Amino acid sequence: MPLLETENLVKRFGGVTATDDVSVSIESNERVSLIGPNGAGKSTLINLITRRLDPTEGEIRFNGESILGLKPHDVVQRGVSKSFQTASIFPQLPVIDNARIAALGAEHGAFRLNLLSRLDSYDEVDAVARETLQDVGLWAERETAAADLPYGDKRRLELGIALAAEPDLLLMDEPTAGMSPEETAATVELIENVKAERDLTFLLVEHDMEIVMNISDRIIVLDRGSVIAQGTPEEIRESERVQDAYLGGADR
Amino acid sequence: MSPRVPRDELRVLGLTALAVLAFPYLFAEAPVVSDVLNGYAGLATPILIWGIFVMGYDLLHGYTGLLSFGHAAFWGAGGMTVGALIHHAEFSFPLVAVALAVVVGILLAALIGYLSLRRGGIYFAILTLAFGQMIYYTMLGPAGQLTNGEDGLILDASSLFGVIPLDAGLPVLTPLGIIPSWLYAVTGVLTLVSVAVAYRILQSPYGLVFKAIRENEQRASFVGLNVWRYKLAAFVASGAFAGLAGGLHALQAGNASASPFYWIVSGDVVIMSILGGVGTLFGGFIGAGIYLYMDNVASSIGLIGDRWHLLLGVLFVVIVWLFPDGVWGGLRRLRSMVGSDDTTHTQTTDDGGND
Repeated sequence: MPLLETENLVKRFGGVTATDDVSVSIESNERVSLIGPNGAGKSTLINLITRRLDPTEGEIRFNGESILGLKPHDVVQRGVSKSFQTASIFPQLPVIDNARIAALGAEHGAFRLNLLSRLDSYDEVDAVARETLQDVGLWAERETAAADLPYGDKRRLELGIALAAEPDLLLMDEPTAGMSPEETAATVELIENVKAERDLTFLLVEHDMEIVMNISDRIIVLDRGSVIAQGTPEEIRESERVQDAYLGGADR
Repeated sequence: MSPRVPRDELRVLGLTALAVLAFPYLFAEAPVVSDVLNGYAGLATPILIWGIFVMGYDLLHGYTGLLSFGHAAFWGAGGMTVGALIHHAEFSFPLVAVALAVVVGILLAALIGYLSLRRGGIYFAILTLAFGQMIYYTMLGPAGQLTNGEDGLILDASSLFGVIPLDAGLPVLTPLGIIPSWLYAVTGVLTLVSVAVAYRILQSPYGLVFKAIRENEQRASFVGLNVWRYKLAAFVASGAFAGLAGGLHALQAGNASASPFYWIVSGDVVIMSILGGVGTLFGGFIGAGIYLYMDNVASSIGLIGDRWHLLLGVLFVVIVWLFPDGVWGGLRRLRSMVGSDDTTHTQTTDDGGND
């Protein structure tokens, strides 16, 4: 049974069809990249999986169960977390509190009636927050306000917040977008490390073909809302259809 | 959790107790200070009562980032609970009545919060305003039998345990000018309890989740938190404090009517909250103090008189301009400027830049 499965997923915005009959699946421990030109429907697909958007038609199953009736936070509680394309952090709060918030969601579930017990009495929350910041290399900056971090560090914090949930499936929306080459290299290294350490299953949306080719077990190519190809990095590199639609033409 | 009180809470409670004890003396009795301020003991009690109201409101507005324009409803309902019990049911336990005012505040806030939190931002604010006004007009008209409209109910049976009149002085302490009345003593103790509860809520996971929602609601839900329930919790908590304060206010005023339900009260709370400092918790008492001082003391100075609203407006602009995080935030910044080096100063400034 696949970990995640979409079946004939259609999303229309008015007259525009953003995803058209998309059926993909991801197995446990698989690293999958989603590529395609701008407007191909990558972000829409991610937003459908995280339940930010309702599909017009089709079905999404996680661990064999439909997630269509769920709220976004329920999907996270089931084990799917997401790192955003822009650093979606808690800017005025110190880095450690950013991690604690993520740890709370992971350790205490969606809601708990504990408004009169002190946060510092929950050691498990601090432990997860600490581990998360150590993993993404921000432990030394824990007292800094998140807004004051350099851009690359903000994105690492973003990734850390998504990882704190210890997701069964991590969705990453262009984790290196807007980064300098050094920051990009550091982020790729971070992803590689976490991947090895945590047996991570992920779905990565990325434009940088070098990263995609190096990091993925399988690549899914979207164009104009439809899956036009999928396969190993080698297969995709050699597919003419992909080259026509995406890789060919201009700069890559 | 653990039976011993953590050190930070001990400090907060100690300082609050000290402030509550010293305040009426400094304000109304102390040589020089009280002469300059022109304060009087009778104003000390309402300042604490409104302070509780504003502090609770700050949990919602300052910490969770939800602007409500309907909190007059919970303040009014707290007062009406106390009023109806004492006036209609001839209930002679004002403290029990105040406890029930808290319960009514909680229930009403749960209902209005449940309905209003369906929408966010300005729509939420307008929904709370609409529900608040709906309740005001209900109290004025259809429920006029209960409330006696704007004239309200006279509460003359306000005595502690049916024995001690609340407006009577305490032995020894009152003649010394320390505690003006039993009512002040009761209000002071409940202020201490309120500060303890509100401070504890902020030290609990809720405090952090509230700030998370204020900072980035979408992210909060994408770490798996049920944002809606936490928002409702913040709304209900602030409703509880509003109910408590409203109940005390009725006791203090000796009257419970439809007027406290009016939307102006919701606006007053927002003004006091901003004056004292949004997201500062204790600033609520400062904001309430400034507002009531202008209303009651400054307005009786010949030159100011009816123009106190204008003066308050000017003061409001100056405070917001100089200290975006209110008087409390300004004091805090001043302290960190005096007390430490430049780096921490920059950081506090950044903290205050929010909202």
